[in-house]
Parts: sequence; C-alpha cells; structure tokens
Amino acid sequence: MDLHAIPEDERLLDTLRWRLGLRGTKDGCRSGGCGACTVWVDGRSVLSCLTLAHELEGGSVQTIETIDSDPTGHRVVEAFEAEDAVQCGYCTPGFVMAIAGLLKERPHEPELSGVLENLEGNLCRCTGYAAIARAVERARRGAP
Amino acid sequence: MTRSDAPRKIRGQVEYGADLSRPGMLWGALVPAPIAHGRIVRLDLKRARGLPGVVAVVGPKEAQALLPKGGGDPERPLFPTSEIAYAGQPVAAVAAETLAAAHAAARAVSVATEPSPVQLEIDAIFPEWPGAEARNSPFVTAHVHAKSGDVEAELGSADLLHSEIYRTSGVVQMALEPHACLAEVAKGEWFVRTSTQTPFGVREDAAGILGIPESTLRVEGTWVGGGFGGKGAALLEPFALVLAAATERPVKLTLSYPEEFRLARSTMPAVVRMETAVRRGEITARRVRMLLDTGASLPGRDFATGYAIGFLLGPYRVGTFELEGYALRTNKPPFGPHRAPFAPQCAFIAESHLDGLARKLGVDPVAFRWKLAWTEGVTTPLGQRVGPFGLPAALAKARTLVDEWRRSLPSGHGIGVGCGFWSTNTGAGGEARLRLTPSELVIEEAEWEIGSGSVVEGLVAVAARVTGLPAQAIRVQPQDTDHAPFDSGVFGSRTVGALGQAVQRAAEKLLKALADRVKVHSTPHLELSDGGIEMVQGKSHHRVESLFTAAERKAGGIVAEGRHYGAGGKIDERRVLDGTFYPYTDFTASVHVAQVDVDRETGQVRVVRSAAFLDAGVLIDRPGARAQAEGAYAMGLGTALTEETMWTPDGRLANPNLLDYRVPTSGEVPPLAVEFIEGFPGAGPFGAKGIGEPPIIPIPAAIANAVADATGARVYELPLTPERVARALKLL
Repeated sequence: MDLHAIPEDERLLDTLRWRLGLRGTKDGCRSGGCGACTVWVDGRSVLSCLTLAHELEGGSVQTIETIDSDPTGHRVVEAFEAEDAVQCGYCTPGFVMAIAGLLKERPHEPELSGVLENLEGNLCRCTGYAAIARAVERARRGAP
Repeated sequence: MTRSDAPRKIRGQVEYGADLSRPGMLWGALVPAPIAHGRIVRLDLKRARGLPGVVAVVGPKEAQALLPKGGGDPERPLFPTSEIAYAGQPVAAVAAETLAAAHAAARAVSVATEPSPVQLEIDAIFPEWPGAEARNSPFVTAHVHAKSGDVEAELGSADLLHSEIYRTSGVVQMALEPHACLAEVAKGEWFVRTSTQTPFGVREDAAGILGIPESTLRVEGTWVGGGFGGKGAALLEPFALVLAAATERPVKLTLSYPEEFRLARSTMPAVVRMETAVRRGEITARRVRMLLDTGASLPGRDFATGYAIGFLLGPYRVGTFELEGYALRTNKPPFGPHRAPFAPQCAFIAESHLDGLARKLGVDPVAFRWKLAWTEGVTTPLGQRVGPFGLPAALAKARTLVDEWRRSLPSGHGIGVGCGFWSTNTGAGGEARLRLTPSELVIEEAEWEIGSGSVVEGLVAVAARVTGLPAQAIRVQPQDTDHAPFDSGVFGSRTVGALGQAVQRAAEKLLKALADRVKVHSTPHLELSDGGIEMVQGKSHHRVESLFTAAERKAGGIVAEGRHYGAGGKIDERRVLDGTFYPYTDFTASVHVAQVDVDRETGQVRVVRSAAFLDAGVLIDRPGARAQAEGAYAMGLGTALTEETMWTPDGRLANPNLLDYRVPTSGEVPPLAVEFIEGFPGAGPFGAKGIGEPPIIPIPAAIANAVADATGARVYELPLTPERVARALKLL
C-alpha cells in the first residue's frame, strides 16, 4: 500500500486494523507491554503498536489472517487447537505470531523453557500459560 | 479435544468489543477529573470544540439537554455536576472523526477545580475500631454485624487470645481486551453493542444512569476478551450512548490501558482484625472486624461487605462468634468484583490466622483445620446448612501430599496449605430458549462467551447430556436484550450452575413435547443421522422434522423455554444485628498446597510447585474445569506476590501500566498438579458446581503459609512483596 497517505505518527497496529480492516491483530496496551499486537515484518516478530507504518517502506508485513499459509504458523495453529490453548482468545493471535516467529528463527532450540522465556512479552490472563506451554511443546516437536 | 470457538479465535476471526466498527463511526474519549476530590469551578469546552475533526463535546449541561428527562438516578450522575469523587472521574466526553482527534480534544477541555482534602486510607478514617460515631459518618456506606453467644466473655476468659491485624491491597482484573462498546441512537431508540459479562445488567444500569426507559435501550454483547468481574455493570456504555445522541452517528468508545487501571473497578483493599480465643487447646470464640475500602462507590452497594465478610471465618465450625464490617467511602475510583470477589483476600487472612494459631498450639496446621472443617449437614455461623462439601476429603489428600513433599524438602523451603470455599452466585435467575431445527439444536440466550468456555462449551454440554445429541449438532446463538430471554449474566461461576439449569429444563421440555406427539411415555433421546436429527425411543426412530406442526415447520423448528430462579439458602436472621448478609447457594471447597523458596537476603518468594485439590461437584466439562484451575493459578500467584494498586498522596493511581503493576508472565508460573475431588454434587445440572472462581481462593493463603513455614515469620499484608517479606524477616 502507499504509505504516503498515512500520517507519519500512525502506528502499524492502527494501519492494519482501521485502514486495512485486519482486526485479527489485537489492540491491547499500546505500549509494548502485552504482546497482543505481534505481527511479522520481513518474517520477524515485531510489536505493531511500537512500529510506525512509515518505517516499513519496502518491507512486507504478515498478520494472523494469513497464518495458515506459513508452514510453521500452521503448525502452531494446529498445536493451539489440539491443546485448547485458548480461552478468551484476545492474546492468542499475538502468541501464535510470536511463537511461530521464534520457532522459525530458532528451529532447533533445545529447551521448552528457552522458548517460554522469550514469550515474556506476551501476556495471557486466562490460561495461566499451561496450555500454551503444551502447545509450544507440541509445535516444537512437529505434528505427532 | 478442540473447543468449538478455538479455530476462529486462534486465527483472529472473532469480533470483540474492541474490534467493533460501523460505517460513519466516530471515536469517543473521556475527559478525566484532574483531582481526586473537590469542586468543579469551571468546565471550558470551547477550545476542544474548535479542534479539527471534533464533532461533539458533551459536559453535564449538554448531557442534560440531550436526555429525555434531563438525566437519571441522581445518586449516579453521568458527569459530576459539582463534586469530583475520584481522580480520573469522567467530567465530559468528546466524539471526533479519529481516535487521535478525540484524545486531542479530551486534553483540550479545561477543568478548573477547587480541591478538598483527599481521603485515601481507611485506617485514617477510624484509627480505632468505630463505635457509635460510625452511624453518622459520611464515610460509611454499609455496615453489617452478626453474632452468636457471649463473645466478650469468651475473649476475656481465654487462656490464649490469638489477635492479629491483616491488610490486603487493590487488585486489577486486567483482562487483555479493554472495555469497548459502540453506540447508536436514532428516533428515540438507543442501542449499544458492548463487551460485557451481563447485557441485561448493562441495560438496567445504563437506562438508570441516563433516565431512559429500559424498553427503549437495546444491548447486545460481543465476544469478550476476558472479564474476571470487571465487565459486569455498565461502565462506558452511558457515555457512548450520550455521544451517539449528540452526534446522531455511531460512536465507538474504548478504554486505554491506563484508563482501564483507573476506571474499570478493581477490587477493594481492606483492614481486618482477627481474634480467636482458646481454652484448654480448643477454640471457644472468634471475632472478625473488617474495614473495607469501596472507593467512591455509591450508597447501597453493600453487597461486597455482606457477602465477603462470611469468608473470613473460613469453612470451619465455630460456636461463639462475632462478625462486623464497615464499607468505607474513599476518593479512589469505585471498586468492583474481581474473580471470586474478595474471597482470596479473606482466605489469606482466615488461613494465615488459623495456621499461625495451630503453630502456637504446637499442632499440625492441616490436621487442625481438618478437625474444624465443615462437612455435609453442619450449620454455618450464619445458620445455613452445608450441602455436599469436599473439604475434608481434599484436606486429607493435601496432608498426604505435604508429607510426601516434606520427605525431600530442600533446606530453606517451606510448604503451606490454604483452604477456601465458594458459593455459586445465581444472581436474579435466568432463562434460555432452545430451538430444535431439522438439523441442529440452537441455544438462544443473552450471554456471550467471556473465555472460560462456560457458554460455548458448558451450556452445550448440558444440552448434549439431556438430549443425547453430540456437541457438534448444538450451537449457542446469543441474542440482544430485545430478543433473548432474561438472564443475570456470566459471573459468580453461575453460567453452568444456574443458566445451565434453564438450558436443562428447556431441553427436558423439548423432549417431552416431542414424545407427547407420538404418544411415547418414556423419555426419548435425540440422535444426529445423515438425514438430520431423529428422536429415538427404544427401536422407534422419527425424523424430528416429521413431528413438527405446520407452524413450526414454517418457523424452522420447535421451541422450548426453561427458567432458573435465583436460589439461595437462608440466613438465620436471629444472629443478624445490622445490615444484610447474603446466603450462599451451594458450597464448593478448594484446597491449595504450595512449596516456596524464600531468599533470606532479599525477601523474594519463589513458588517452586503447587497442587490444587478442587471439589467441583459433578464435572460437566473436565478439560474446561482443568483450564479454569490453571488460569486461576497464574492469577492467584499475581494476587499473592506482585499485584497491587498504589496511590499517590493526592489520590492518583501511581502504577496504571503493566511495567509497574506486575501480572505473572509465561516464565513465572511454576508447575501445578490439579486433582478434582468428586462425589460431592452441587445444585447445578447433574450435580455441577461452579468452577471459574473457586480455584483462585486458597492460593495466596497457601503461599503465605508456606513462607511462614520456610522462615518462621508471618507476613500480614498482601501481596507478599520482597519488601514486606524482608520486613517480616527483620532485614529492613
């Protein structure tokens, strides 16, 4: 899309949600503290609330809406389904993007705890992270 | 096993309140009061009105002109007309073409004030326990008092008087989705879609605040991104509605996280005095005195006081007792319910007190409580008969586990046990309508799923169990308040226990109506076959479609309604001296065991592992129940260790953000073992008990007792921050 039509101080989060109608990316704390707005920019996880749309000239953004088209993303989605790692679901798209982003970056991470430590920027108030940890473990090992 | 809503939620495909959008929609923002207490001298809206993109700026005068009767309940004004009750209280609202323009306009409203002294600490209102002077105190909003026997005499003649003062802090629900709604007003018809736990509650509240008939206000829920009690009564909706009336356009209003912390009704701090008299090793009397900070809550909102105080004696037998509590108004925002309102705090106090007493008496703290624990048939202090109750069974298991953990306990670690009880809060009852079509069974009701699964899984499981249909043939269709039958809301762990009974009765009526049509006198069940749904009785199969009347065929199905009346036990009023105590409906026990490691230099508490023993009656949805236990665990760790609202001396919330108000993160939740104690049925469908709230109740208590076990020092205040633990260890 043409970034020139967008105000310079507009957050990527708002561009996605309100200009493009991609509201699968969730609007939480708007200050980098909850992780609900995690998307991929050029394949890496970023917080869209702390990213200005203008910074992305020439870059590519991927959101939860197309997660199944990415093999790792699809694996994480399936793991979340199998483990029921969702309650209210508001944090879930952000978790899926963050976990899949991490597994792409570090496919051979030996420890589950290594993955979970890197998810401390994503908050969940419903699950106590237990089912999410089970989903991470399932996704890490690949589909059984 | 996949929850029916999981595939769409995981892919970001469900629409929450925060996602609502309409063509031509404006964005709203609230103007916060700049001080915590005082008078508004002048409210200047002019500059805000002149800013680009601003469509309306509404203060008290403008609101009065827009509302048919000029306003609603004078006790709950939309905007304060003179006195500001707390910092951040909305004093005006704006609507603009963009969110940025709305925020700029809200900042441009100037509020000139004349400050008054700010009341923040409840200790400061009554430094000594209040006497007769409390009757006329402007700070007292509720008083409850009950007793049985000669407490003074027993306390005076005790050979051991165990007397302590405990304090708790405010805790924020902190659902990930902030409060959000979208309002539209046209031709005297008011409509709001909102992320709420109680659409009918919002209708009643918002209509009352605005002074419009409930029949002219339609409320529809949305998917809710977490509630935990914070999305109960109306909060944003009246503001959004008045802005929609002012602009004649749809208006979206969403709280920012800092507003969420300040306005969204977090729970109450309290100061509690506990006294227990012991003679020859036996408890002879107990006295509990509670001061509860309810913020700028309105008079009459005394439910918290009369409901919460009963938890302070714990689920234990007691003869002679006295319970007295005051709700006190302060210049903090109005406080509200948070998952098992105030029960985790009460259990922390009650269980710390008894654990400490057992240690003083030199007896095992778990055995001590087991001996006192309620069993079925005993009478509570307020005169209710306890129904099937799994506490002794859960405590027996906990004791075995404690012994096992002790055998390999590293030096410096401690183990603590906490107990709690809960009662499903059935509210004012509720109704559900079932519509059986040729191919599916639809549950029509008012409530939207808030996350626990109680609507999309729980209600479906009840309907499945009655009819025999598989869950995939059953769907919940929430409706707005003009179309859904009345229901009280998704709170108090009542969804399956109370609304589920309405679903159960509707399903039973449906089966009976079908059976009557083919003169079947025993109860049939339903089956999903390739050709649609069939009614099956013995060897006879009927396509349900063939049993429909012409009118039903035209309407697409057969309908049956079921109702559940809010039901409670009875308080023994002879024991009540003042105020209202609320009876419990049924009795649910939870026990938590925690092992902790305490850093002897910093006071940092690390929970190593935990186990939950939960009496949940007959389980309707086992994976869902386990998920509630796991979720409550993280939240309970927060209440126990880190979560606390803090206030500046002039009455502002000092930590309205996730950096300074710390909720547990993924690396901070240690392993939890969950075991359900079955065989103690509740009043819900098939013997179900509510499970959303009970698991959190004993967690802070267990952790505090584990800290005492590890260090010999007791912490008398929640949360157990390193500083408080260090003080208890005399390091500071």
